[in-house]
Amino acid sequence: MSSLLNSLTTELRRGTLTLAVLSQLRTPQYGYSLVQLLEKSGITIEQSTLYPLLRRLEKQELVTSSWDTSESRPRRYYVLSEFGTEIFQQLKNEWEKTSQELYTLLKGEGEDEVD
Amino acid sequence: MKLIELYIQEVTRRLPEKNREDIALELKSTIEDMLPDEYSEEDVKSILEQLGNPAILASGYRDRPMHLIGPRYFDLYIQLLKMILPIAAAISLFSLAANNILSYGGEGAVLNLILHVLGEGIRGILSTGMQVFFWLTLVFAILERTDHAKAPIPLTQSCKEWSPDDLKNIPYIPKEKVISKVEVFGSLLWTAIWATGYFYAANLLGVYEKGREGLEFVAPTFNQEVLHSYWPLVVMVIGLEVATAIYKWITAQWTKKVASLNMILQLISSIVFIVIFSNPHLFNIAFVQYLTDLFSFSHNPKNSIYWGAMIIFVIFAAIDSYKGFRKANIRKGPAKSQSI
Repeated sequence: MSSLLNSLTTELRRGTLTLAVLSQLRTPQYGYSLVQLLEKSGITIEQSTLYPLLRRLEKQELVTSSWDTSESRPRRYYVLSEFGTEIFQQLKNEWEKTSQELYTLLKGEGEDEVD
Repeated sequence: MKLIELYIQEVTRRLPEKNREDIALELKSTIEDMLPDEYSEEDVKSILEQLGNPAILASGYRDRPMHLIGPRYFDLYIQLLKMILPIAAAISLFSLAANNILSYGGEGAVLNLILHVLGEGIRGILSTGMQVFFWLTLVFAILERTDHAKAPIPLTQSCKEWSPDDLKNIPYIPKEKVISKVEVFGSLLWTAIWATGYFYAANLLGVYEKGREGLEFVAPTFNQEVLHSYWPLVVMVIGLEVATAIYKWITAQWTKKVASLNMILQLISSIVFIVIFSNPHLFNIAFVQYLTDLFSFSHNPKNSIYWGAMIIFVIFAAIDSYKGFRKANIRKGPAKSQSI
């Protein structure tokens, strides 16, 4: 039963990952700093999902990347492109709308239980 | 640390050449970011555990799917497979049977020939089936990898996405009117069996007696020359039966046309049967003699066999024709669909 719940939860969260990642890329981040930022807000993401996701976002021209070799260890930084910022805004609005709708739905159900 | 290098190698060897170096460098720097300054092998292992199976990570980097045929093509693939496999199997079986029968020179028992054809047939069907399966799968696997339309919407048989207009091309067949493929196949098989019986009657049909080396052929039932003098009629009936079976297969349901065709077929085969059977020289004298001796008939049994066979044949033909028309007349279906 709990494995079913796990897979449903994963499925539920999968769609929100892109939005979560995009939201943190308004300032340049490298792989591990992004993991830490997300974890700080309570979002756990499989690392084997995150790194390929970054590459995909770059291919879709939502983010740009560059190597920073100024520090002791070279790091690849990702940041939202202009197009990415635009898409992020729209996606954010979409999410707020959806969560509002879902909130109303779930709230209605909660009241039914009280009755 | 050797483990890290090995892990990165396991990931990058699955990637296209041009991305390898870049991804390797990024992975290395990420893994080092995650490790504390002083680290043990255990630390490395736990980090690699978090990154997971290199094959999965690599497939995330690649755009190519990790399945052979995805949801976009799967339904189409199965439909085509179901359609092509039986056709290919039937063609291979028929060509094999025709080949063997044409090259049969009359030597050897016919039963042996039949067994040989059956054995070869099963092998032929298996190898044809495998060929069809392989090539069709290959074609679809390539399609899956070359079609870059992003929408994962399944395609229909017209290779387009589904629309309500597709419904107009589907015939509505009530259960009672369906002509199943098994039925069609059965009638084809029956044609093949009796045709074989007809052409090899001299070696196949007759009286067998238990001899020293298994069954021994004592006396053929029919007078072969008389029987074979009717071959143009018989070939015509065979042709008509095959044509009817194919027509039934295509229409897949009983309609007035199918029922009429079926009735014509039954009528003609009844007439041919009666014409052949009413020839007084049809039966082999030795066979008739054998029966007379065996059952110690007081009179000649020929007449009762004739009449019995003919009546049974005609009755079955009449029942079959009637059934066809009854099924064709069943009216059941979405009434409104006629007006659209």
